[in-house]
Amino acid sequence: MRDKTEDKRTVQVLTKEKLDLEQLLAAPKDKLSVAGHSVTRTDDLQKVTGKLMYGADYPQEGFLHGKILRSPFPHALIKAINVEKAQELPGVAAVLTAKDVPGRNGFGAILPDQPVICGDKVRYVGDGVALVAAETEEIAHEALSLIQVEYEPLTPVLDPRDALKPDAPQIHEKGNLLSSNKLRKGDIEKGFDEAQVIMERTYQVPFLEHAYLEPDISLAIPQPDGTMLVEGPMQAPFTVRRNLAAVLGVPVNQVRVRQIHMGGGFGGKEDAPIDVGCRAAVLAHHTGQPVRLSLEREEVTLQTCKRHPMIMEIRIGAKKDGHLVAFEGVIYDEQGAYAGLGPVIPPAGGSHIHSMVMMPGPYQIPHVKVDAHLCYTNHPYGGAMRGFGAPQVHIAHEQLMDELAQELGMDPIELRRINAFRLGSVTATGQVLDQSVGLIETLDACAKAFKWEDRYGKSQYVDAKSSKRRGVGIGMGWYRTSIGTSGDGCGANVYVHEDGSALLYSGITEMGQGAFTVLPQICAEELGVRMEDVRLVKPDTDMVPESGPTVGSRSTTLMGNAIIMATRQIKESILEMASEMLIVPIDRLEVRDRRIYDRENPGKSLAFKEVAAKCMAMGKRLIGQGWWAPPTASLDPETGQGNPYFVYTYSTHMTEVEVDVETGEVEVIDYVAAFDVGKAINPKAVEGQIEGGVAMGLGYALMEKVVLKDGYPQNLNLQDYLIPTTLDVPDIEPIILEEENKFGPYGAKGIGEMPNIPATPAILNAIANACGGRVRSLPADPENVFLAIQEAGGPPER
Amino acid sequence: MSTTKLSFKLNGQSMEVAIAPNTLLIDLLRDDLGLTGTKAGCREGECGACTVLLDGEPVNSCILPALKVAGRSLTTIEGLANEEGDLDEIQQAFMDEGAAQCGFCTPGMIMNAKALLNKNPTPNEAEIRESLSGVLCRCTGYRKIVHAVVTASQTKKSHK
Repeated sequence: MRDKTEDKRTVQVLTKEKLDLEQLLAAPKDKLSVAGHSVTRTDDLQKVTGKLMYGADYPQEGFLHGKILRSPFPHALIKAINVEKAQELPGVAAVLTAKDVPGRNGFGAILPDQPVICGDKVRYVGDGVALVAAETEEIAHEALSLIQVEYEPLTPVLDPRDALKPDAPQIHEKGNLLSSNKLRKGDIEKGFDEAQVIMERTYQVPFLEHAYLEPDISLAIPQPDGTMLVEGPMQAPFTVRRNLAAVLGVPVNQVRVRQIHMGGGFGGKEDAPIDVGCRAAVLAHHTGQPVRLSLEREEVTLQTCKRHPMIMEIRIGAKKDGHLVAFEGVIYDEQGAYAGLGPVIPPAGGSHIHSMVMMPGPYQIPHVKVDAHLCYTNHPYGGAMRGFGAPQVHIAHEQLMDELAQELGMDPIELRRINAFRLGSVTATGQVLDQSVGLIETLDACAKAFKWEDRYGKSQYVDAKSSKRRGVGIGMGWYRTSIGTSGDGCGANVYVHEDGSALLYSGITEMGQGAFTVLPQICAEELGVRMEDVRLVKPDTDMVPESGPTVGSRSTTLMGNAIIMATRQIKESILEMASEMLIVPIDRLEVRDRRIYDRENPGKSLAFKEVAAKCMAMGKRLIGQGWWAPPTASLDPETGQGNPYFVYTYSTHMTEVEVDVETGEVEVIDYVAAFDVGKAINPKAVEGQIEGGVAMGLGYALMEKVVLKDGYPQNLNLQDYLIPTTLDVPDIEPIILEEENKFGPYGAKGIGEMPNIPATPAILNAIANACGGRVRSLPADPENVFLAIQEAGGPPER
Repeated sequence: MSTTKLSFKLNGQSMEVAIAPNTLLIDLLRDDLGLTGTKAGCREGECGACTVLLDGEPVNSCILPALKVAGRSLTTIEGLANEEGDLDEIQQAFMDEGAAQCGFCTPGMIMNAKALLNKNPTPNEAEIRESLSGVLCRCTGYRKIVHAVVTASQTKKSHK
């Protein structure tokens, strides 16, 4: 049963926000003068001159250097620990163990189940058992080697299916099953009875490393008034602050968190900054001195979160004409040692529920059953990584769609066209997609640009002697905007000054996606001033309103709406004042490019700054505060039915690859990717998100995997963990389509995470199309492609 | 620890410093000289974010002993714009094309591209991709970076 109270609340929010937005977005979209135009990023000049400060660039004078002693075992009891020798080493300021954590000895984005310092047990080789602060990094390293720990190794659990066995060693007191979730729509038995073709497949994906170029770092600086300041690269300052307060045992208002510009995040800097931030702060608390905790690349791989690995078993049923009738899936989702961002605990919807919701793909299927199990193991922990549980299930359903098309003797794009979401479609959770559904449009635009009809079905060797064979592939996808469930509010403050310049206060962080440019664009557009008239105040929890984390492709849409609401309060003052000064009714006034005009007599106008100055002199309000939370509803725990996210972005990708059938090597030679983004606020930045996302999806398909041996990560640095280079990524052609989202600023919805999602299966499908071999356990590296070709009976005939 | 004197040219200026003999070039630049535009991503010569030009050739400063630059000429990202602050064509093109996202690889990319254009003022796309293959970028998919280098080469040509 759906919770009716919840529904009522949601409906109210929906109606109110709808009215607000419709009033606010009165300006015709073709008249936009700042938003919707490609602009140079506000921080580009600093980037190209090397002046932009990252965490590691801040002067180190006065800082102690923190280091973490990590567990040498994936699963063990701590029997004894002796830190005396380390404490006696000259230059060591503190050596801390579990008993020294002043508040809660646990942190986590959703569940605080990861110890700041492990006391009785370690659960993966990245676990911290002691912390050191010393005058130099060298001394801190030496101190680590002087700490003596006695362990009693336990049998590690290294597979999520093993974790569920009754005799499995228990990793946490509450057991190895962290969350089990169900999605039920229609009658699955009836669905398979109606099916004329039924296929079953299992797909498997490994742990991935984010491989952001900037290693994690945290600076914790005790303040003279007793508060704690923590700075560093981070996506979620408010989540970091919440954890710091609990770990230090102080109220939230005693902790101040400031974001330093990030050298890439991709979701990983939602979790990791909590980890390094809490540890740096505990050291700073004990020593009373600033502490710099900087991870080396190998430590980043050992310690921080990864993309969740999954084993996905699927059964699909279709009619001979291609209509899908039944979809049954089981997900074994590996969480690793700690809960991270995996579990589903309302109001925070973890990646696990997102995987479940997304698993049947962007297709209308009347009968659906999915069971999703999230399991602890003694591996590194799963966190957010671009797509948050969606890329994994897309790899499964998009490959299965191609395998089904082959079985039915259909062109894979036709099979998708028959079943793809369109306006009015009902999702597997029962959500009616009643606005902004541009999936079919992306399919058509992509097929046209790629010339699919001319290229599909013509796989062949490059020439008579070559061992290289070419093929084409498609991937389709959908992705939410916002975090979902509830608790997804976003606040903005805007101040206009007497000279017409403005400050925009927002807690949305910048990691390279371009938020520090798009948000001022929206603010300038709404105020009717120029881009350079708005300065964004960088995220600082003492200064900016609660904005939630910079995740879930939510920033442009949610913060954009909050900014529009904040500016409205200022514009009321400005327009009232201008109306008096010009003696023109308010509803005839328009603000554009720093001037306020009478629409019916454009010669009658005032400078924005003149009116702002008058407002200031007359005591009129020039401060605006906006708050926007998307309309959402919870999912029913028994059936998974409901509206988990308020709007989705849609996409279709097409690619051509060349496979060397003798070596298994794959080269991606052509790529077109089309997106329905609602509205591109900064089109050049949207293209950048698309191109970068496709490259990340390509890495997932062809080369990336954290290799684990008995619980130990083997490829710790970028020499062994390969990511795509200029020679791996083709010249991607991005196509931007705009199906207006009526709940977004100028119609915008999220774009950050969508691009990598269909990329991986598009490439895998192209490989299968080229050589006949299908790689169902990633990555499709030369060895796996070679084996897949052998399994398929050898290379295709010439 | 004993120190050794080191004389070299940095961004056009002669300079002499006293350093520990095992100092790596990146640490000399970042920690001793405060030139933090050169980034450390992996410290094993794999990601290329630390690329600087030594007598015009791109080198990974994270694995190069600082003493190796004795008597030679070193250029970092801070030395690319001229004294009046006019940007190099490559810097301008990176801004115009939107080639920087998080920006962490940007100094390494630009220095690498600078070395390429010095040697080959009109490279084709394949030559650009080959030349930049030692610098990793996780954000951009490289497309706008490659386009920026093409644009910069054309701008340079039209100025001559």
